[in-house]
Amino acid sequence: MPIDAKVVHQVAALSRLEVDPAEEGRFVQELQAILAYVEQLQALDVSGIEPTSQVGAGERTPLREDVVIPSDVRDEALAQAPDRDGDYFRVPRVV
Amino acid sequence: MSAYETVVGLEVHAQLKTRSKIFCCCSTTFGARPNTQVCPTCLGLPGVLPVLNERAVRFAVMTGLAVGSTVAERSVFARKNYFYPDLPKGYQISQYDRPLCVGGGVDIQVDGSTKRIGLVRIHLEEDAGKSIHPEGREGVTTTLVDLNRSGVPLIEIVSEPEIRSGAEAYDYLVRLKQTLVYLDVCDGNMEEGSLRCDANVSVRPKGRKEFGTKAEIKNMNSFRNVERAIAFETDRQIRILESGGRVVQETLLWNADQGVAEPMRSKEEAHDYRYFPEPDLLPLDLEPGWIDSVRRELPELPHQVRARLTSLGIPEYDAEVLTETRALSRYFEETASRAGNAKLASNWIMTEVNGIRNKQGQSIEEFPIRPDRLGSLVKMIAEGRISGKIGKQLFELMLTRAESPEELVKSQGLLPIDDEDSLRALAREVIAANPGPAAEVRAGKERTFAFLVGQAMKQSRGRAHPEKIQDALRKELEKA
Amino acid sequence: MSPEIVAQETAESIGRAVQSRERSAVDVARTFLDRAERTASRLGTYLHRDPAATLAMAADVDARLGAGETLGPLAGVPVALKDNLCAHGVPTTCGSRILEGYRPPYDASVVIRLRDAGAVFTGKTNCDEFAMGSSTENSAYHPTRNPWDLERVPGGSSGGSAATVAALEAPLALGSDTGGSVRQPAAFCGVYGLKPTYGAVSRYGLVAFASSLDQIGPLARTARDTALLYNAICGRDERDMTSRAEAKPIPVEELERGVRGMKLGIPRDLTAEGLDPEIRASLDGVAKALAEEGAEILDVTLPHARYSIATYYLIAPAEASSNLARYDGVRYGFRAKSEDLRSMYEATRGQGFGREVRRRILLGTYALSAGYYDAYYLRAMKVRTLIRKDFSDALERADAILLPTTPTPPFKLGEKVDDPLAMYLNDVFSIPASLAGAPALSFPTGMTRSGLPIGMQLVGRPFAEGTLLRIARTWERRNPDGLRVPPLAEGRA
Repeated sequence: MPIDAKVVHQVAALSRLEVDPAEEGRFVQELQAILAYVEQLQALDVSGIEPTSQVGAGERTPLREDVVIPSDVRDEALAQAPDRDGDYFRVPRVV
Repeated sequence: MSAYETVVGLEVHAQLKTRSKIFCCCSTTFGARPNTQVCPTCLGLPGVLPVLNERAVRFAVMTGLAVGSTVAERSVFARKNYFYPDLPKGYQISQYDRPLCVGGGVDIQVDGSTKRIGLVRIHLEEDAGKSIHPEGREGVTTTLVDLNRSGVPLIEIVSEPEIRSGAEAYDYLVRLKQTLVYLDVCDGNMEEGSLRCDANVSVRPKGRKEFGTKAEIKNMNSFRNVERAIAFETDRQIRILESGGRVVQETLLWNADQGVAEPMRSKEEAHDYRYFPEPDLLPLDLEPGWIDSVRRELPELPHQVRARLTSLGIPEYDAEVLTETRALSRYFEETASRAGNAKLASNWIMTEVNGIRNKQGQSIEEFPIRPDRLGSLVKMIAEGRISGKIGKQLFELMLTRAESPEELVKSQGLLPIDDEDSLRALAREVIAANPGPAAEVRAGKERTFAFLVGQAMKQSRGRAHPEKIQDALRKELEKA
Repeated sequence: MSPEIVAQETAESIGRAVQSRERSAVDVARTFLDRAERTASRLGTYLHRDPAATLAMAADVDARLGAGETLGPLAGVPVALKDNLCAHGVPTTCGSRILEGYRPPYDASVVIRLRDAGAVFTGKTNCDEFAMGSSTENSAYHPTRNPWDLERVPGGSSGGSAATVAALEAPLALGSDTGGSVRQPAAFCGVYGLKPTYGAVSRYGLVAFASSLDQIGPLARTARDTALLYNAICGRDERDMTSRAEAKPIPVEELERGVRGMKLGIPRDLTAEGLDPEIRASLDGVAKALAEEGAEILDVTLPHARYSIATYYLIAPAEASSNLARYDGVRYGFRAKSEDLRSMYEATRGQGFGREVRRRILLGTYALSAGYYDAYYLRAMKVRTLIRKDFSDALERADAILLPTTPTPPFKLGEKVDDPLAMYLNDVFSIPASLAGAPALSFPTGMTRSGLPIGMQLVGRPFAEGTLLRIARTWERRNPDGLRVPPLAEGRA
């Protein structure tokens, strides 16, 4: 499946990444090369194979008890906000 | 009748009443000061990890069992990736192709018969925070974000597209909410946002099997608005089709003030959520034994309580009213048990109790007459110790006074008069006070007898025994 | 530097001296701080150092000991932390501009455990941005140099941690390993680097790169020191649902038991090509030595391991593209100025992330997107299953697998940075164990003729870190001059 500038732009939009026109050509090339490399996986027969999404093996993990433990990070966290309005984080308006 | 039928599927999001959030230990209490119920995990800080709340799982399983779903022994969490300021991680942890529950259904009443609306699935996910867009202020170009709600546990309940009208949707929501509230897993409050509903609406010519193009409607904040929105959208789509047009698949926002569904302002690109299994959470494996224990511990469900009531001789309509909430059904059962007469208890609750409650906007828990006192009152009437009229007087008094009906009867002098001597004395008084009518009766005018009886009841403030006073009057009239 | 002094530099001997009050923790800290003063800026090992804070931590340890508290083997031992580990109030950038100035309001679980153990933090070490890279050249701030040759890379992504230990700026360091990021820099810098079994160490507070692969791992100069640091951080943590109770501390004396009767498998199919001849010679030499110690050497095959790089470079970027979505300028870090939300996101992330990170986010988003998920991400997850099975099959016949850590010795700065694929191919020997979730250890086994370190790798069964360290310790005992010191650290370079 070929990657071209149009695809790079679509994917960049999906991942909210600005792509400079100057770097665009380079990204296209590099991504093409990487995808060409990973094409080798298509040759493998994976019919009937279960995908591994987690390698954690062993006993069933216990779930967490429903208990409230207040956290005290609030002030430190809000203090690092790039922009805030009192108790709120503030961002440019969602159009 | 329309040549078209409406096809509706509902997606309901219910906030679960756990004390802490689904993946962290922050409180879920509604209405706290902004960004005070937050921690690194629900703020989406670098390096945090989700830890699953056992009670959220339990509540979701209870819901699935209550509506007859199959609970999966293994279900998988997945990331739903999109960008929004109130979604701190840039993804929502949800479930995708292996949800917790599959199937099940909700029974609704349509034109007097029962119809089952099937469910596709129920799955667990986390809520996002709140974005506040200050409206209507000149030149405001910012959005404020409060993450208190981020991470509150939700279940998403997806129905099959088997609903055929706004009215059916209304009943579906009422029944579903009732089940959730009976289970005590959700407050079911659409105004507060603990219950939310999106509707997928399409129309098709009657008899056609293929589905028409559907529109998704959001932003309906009450069951009535869901009903209205579906009706509106049905009309809109039929008009389009009948004028030769085509329905466009889009998302609409319900505007309750104008009564219209409007396309969302921003041109949304089609969402590609890029779902993949959540690597920070292992698959959720539930032991059959545990699921069974949850099933055994399920509280009684509305239809089960209703069945019990109808077996006591309560009519179906009354049973529906009395089981509206678990608290009300408990109230009824305790009263009926104390009174020894289910039917009479039912009447008193449905007319007198609910009458007052509706006027005052009171919940049954707040109602000042508890089952023990009401039960005693109803018992006294059922056993004929007092008349219904006296009963009503006592009821009024009991609303503001704490005494039992027995105590009030004595202290208010409302004891019935049913001994021969007192009744005869009363009869003599009435005859003496009404010589003309007495003479008429003696002369054979029967109709006037009722007047004398009425006077006796009035004079005794209703305490005279209704049948025995008539005997007494007759006997006294015979004299002289 | 005399071998005796060097021997005193082990975490084990320092911890013992501090516990017995022979040396104060402050004195130890000062020794290492002074040394770092001379070398850290030339090497570029750190992104953040605060000598006053380090001394304060050391003073606190002395106070605790003075008050009669019993502390474990890491009491007063300086430990460097990779800059993708959260320490409360300490700048944590992950080598990125997008987190410039960010100070986490909480400690990672491993940091809490180390504080409790009385360790003393020397600072936050340099790394490839968000742990993506094999040379530390992707740090947005500056590169780190290999202490053995300042024109060469220390490896990556935990280059700073490996270099700081190699240069004696700290006896111990924590790094993180996703596809080799602890092992490869350990090999390039001539130190020990362990990637624990997936789940053996809590990831809470490790800034996520690829969640199903990331593990925090110790770097040290001896096998026993590696065990000591592993012991302090391993085990189930209720804040990380993927962390496992099966991970238990290794009794350090277990490491002395030798390898008699053990079976070591060498995957000849994987090591057949592309191996630097000096590294091949080292592999053969190590196999021979361990055979002399009583191990049985046999051939194993890992038939699907050659697909590891392709598999990894679909899975890791996919998970990373999701893990890095939170860097959006809303709540913390860098935010670009803009008029509307959409351009705020795009400019913040476009400017805040470096090229390698952006490349991987694009690749990962593509691999997950509608229409491509099955062919890329899903298929890669299935191949991962095949690779895991190769390992478990091989480890039924062998107690551990022996193979090189890297195909080449450390390369020069700038040599591969413009060719991403060439950079990725460095990871051919380290990625397979990551995909399998197996424990893997790189241990130093010699030098090239030009004086560059060589490392060999051992891969084991789940939670068999002790076995791997035991094998490495056996080699170490046979090579007592192994505690080498780069000329720069001796003040000779």
